[in-house]
Amino acid sequence: MSEETSAATQYLSFILAGEEYALGILRVKEIIEYDTVTRVPGAPVWVRGVFNLRGSVVPVVDLTVKLGLPPIQLTRRSCIVVVEVKQGNEDIVLGLLADAIGQVIELGPEDVAPPPAFGTPVHVDYLLGMGRVGTARKFILLLDIDKVLSGQEVLSATALRAPPGEETERPTGKVA
Amino acid sequence: MNKRILARGLLLHSDPMTPELEKIHALFLAEAEEQLATLEQGLLALERTSGPQSLSSLLCTLHTLKGGAGAVGLTETVELAHLLEDLLTRVEAQAIVLHAGLGSLLLQAVDVLREQVGLAPASEPAQRLPALEVRRLLESTLKAARPVPSRAAVPERSASSSEPTVLREHTLRVGLGRLDRMLDLTGEISIARGRLAEMLAQAHRYTPQQLLEAHRDGDRLYLDLQELVMKVRMVPIGRTFQPFVRTVRDLGLAMGKQVRCELSGEDVEVDTTIAELIRDPLTHLVRNAMDHGLETPEVRQARGKEPTGSLSLRAFHDAGTLVIQVVDDGAGLDRERITARARALGLLGPEETPDDGALLRLILAPGFSTAERITELSGRGVGMDVVKRNVESLRGTVSVDSTPGQGTTFSLRLPLTLSIIEGFNVAVGNETYVIPLQNVLECVELPAAESRPGRTGFFSLRGAALPYLRLREHFGLGGSTPARENLVVIGHERGLAGLAVDTLLGQGQTVIKPLGRFCQGLPGLSGSTLLGDGRVALILDVPALLQQVLQAAPPAALA
Repeated sequence: MSEETSAATQYLSFILAGEEYALGILRVKEIIEYDTVTRVPGAPVWVRGVFNLRGSVVPVVDLTVKLGLPPIQLTRRSCIVVVEVKQGNEDIVLGLLADAIGQVIELGPEDVAPPPAFGTPVHVDYLLGMGRVGTARKFILLLDIDKVLSGQEVLSATALRAPPGEETERPTGKVA
Repeated sequence: MNKRILARGLLLHSDPMTPELEKIHALFLAEAEEQLATLEQGLLALERTSGPQSLSSLLCTLHTLKGGAGAVGLTETVELAHLLEDLLTRVEAQAIVLHAGLGSLLLQAVDVLREQVGLAPASEPAQRLPALEVRRLLESTLKAARPVPSRAAVPERSASSSEPTVLREHTLRVGLGRLDRMLDLTGEISIARGRLAEMLAQAHRYTPQQLLEAHRDGDRLYLDLQELVMKVRMVPIGRTFQPFVRTVRDLGLAMGKQVRCELSGEDVEVDTTIAELIRDPLTHLVRNAMDHGLETPEVRQARGKEPTGSLSLRAFHDAGTLVIQVVDDGAGLDRERITARARALGLLGPEETPDDGALLRLILAPGFSTAERITELSGRGVGMDVVKRNVESLRGTVSVDSTPGQGTTFSLRLPLTLSIIEGFNVAVGNETYVIPLQNVLECVELPAAESRPGRTGFFSLRGAALPYLRLREHFGLGGSTPARENLVVIGHERGLAGLAVDTLLGQGQTVIKPLGRFCQGLPGLSGSTLLGDGRVALILDVPALLQQVLQAAPPAALA
């Protein structure tokens, strides 16, 4: 996460439910047009499906569902921000569905303020801070993407849907 | 010379974070793993053929290992290897007799070495001596053999020096010839691509046939490359079988059973993933055969058999699949005990007498055990259902064949490769699904008259009632069912079932892609694949899908 806290970091902003959010640009691998996404029955509700990223099958996360925002409306400007998320030792590549792409912004430490205790559309735990941009002093919400997609939640989301047999990992006994 | 190696080792060790050192360590681990396996096999062979023989190859391996360990700064390993070397020199000079006790000690020393270099221990931790004990025993054996020139006291070493920090890389040795051919092919493919691109840029000059021909040229090269790459992933199964010789030996000694371990088909090639994943099921089956199948020498003699039993691990190809068998000539499955236990557990009605197939389903059921007491082997909290699950996750099947008093054969039938399957494509609405062809028996049209609305229904297939599952409803895809639906008849454990889909698209090779972290392990889906138009299609896991339906079926109300 060091790239987000070092001096004058670049961020990529995108629009979710009318609000502008941003991610550290080093996390972003590419931005692609929203194309066919295959639904995966039984996957967590915030997983919109999977798509083909040059031969790899990559899940698309619907952040509006994950963050409890009003649901996304697909338009011509909808796009997928492909990011790399760290979970333990693993780097996972996944797509984030966004209403539109914003801009690339540069923020120094003095431009980032801690989020208020409440009032933000997204829970403060999911925010690294608020970035002040331009002369208009508009706020951009800086997402803590690792936390949003933390391993704990990912695990519980999939465990709920595992068949009941899965949990009985180690039955006792042996056969004659 | 040793000193020099050690000095180099320390030098490298003083800067533990360099990527170079990590690379050296990874290389060392890959080599050490092989050397230790060779050592183990050599020691086991040595035990079997008692008599004067040359130990030079063993000593050579040990020496190489010692050098490698020195280079990465594993002083403890160097010392232990040196001790082993000394001891084996004595054995070669016949100053020490190699008896079973010493054999066990030497093998345990190999285990300790394995642990020290940071490789996973191969045998049960409970049966092992601590490293220091092994070392002490080796030293005393060495002293007892002949007065040894006094060696300098062991220098004190930090306990953490042997702590492994580098994760072991999964490596594979590939023949240089194969790699050369791959490089050739990639070169030719790039030429073909260039030519095709050039032709397409001036497409007006060529006929569609000419363009297609140019594309096909490249295609042929590509298919060759694909086949070659698949072959590179194949490894002989012998490497997987070898460690079991040791397991059988150790278990035989521990249980007072005389067992000969026979391997056959060691050069049969399997996908490296299969070789890796088949280890656990085999361990279960081998232990099971040792514990329950094979009898003690006294019992065997009383039954008119030779005192030494045999346990074979076999591998062979059969009809495009790989078959691995664990065969013992022991007592055979105790049908009465299994039946009695199944009745006690309520898995079987009081009057039912199961055939072999049904019997197998019983013993592979979770939590099933007929062991009267919990032994060291059977009380480990893992059952035969693990075998079943692991084999099924490899898209294989398990079967058993047993003759009372003559032995039991477990057969595991596995696909040759995991990355490509023959698939049968079907469509539901806008979605395409792939059913593994091995599950597909036939396809029939579902007559509108027999179609029942809802998730499931049944249909008369040549007079028999065939239950079916409507994928559209099951996956909640929405949309309306078309007037004409098709049924894919699939075979599973309990018989036949149908999958109702909109359209049948036909069969073809399917390259399996993992679904990624968020969508992994979902019931009914085993992976995904890419279609010709770039879309992702899901591959259905037929047994899990049907299991899900069965579990969801409400139990009949009891009167």
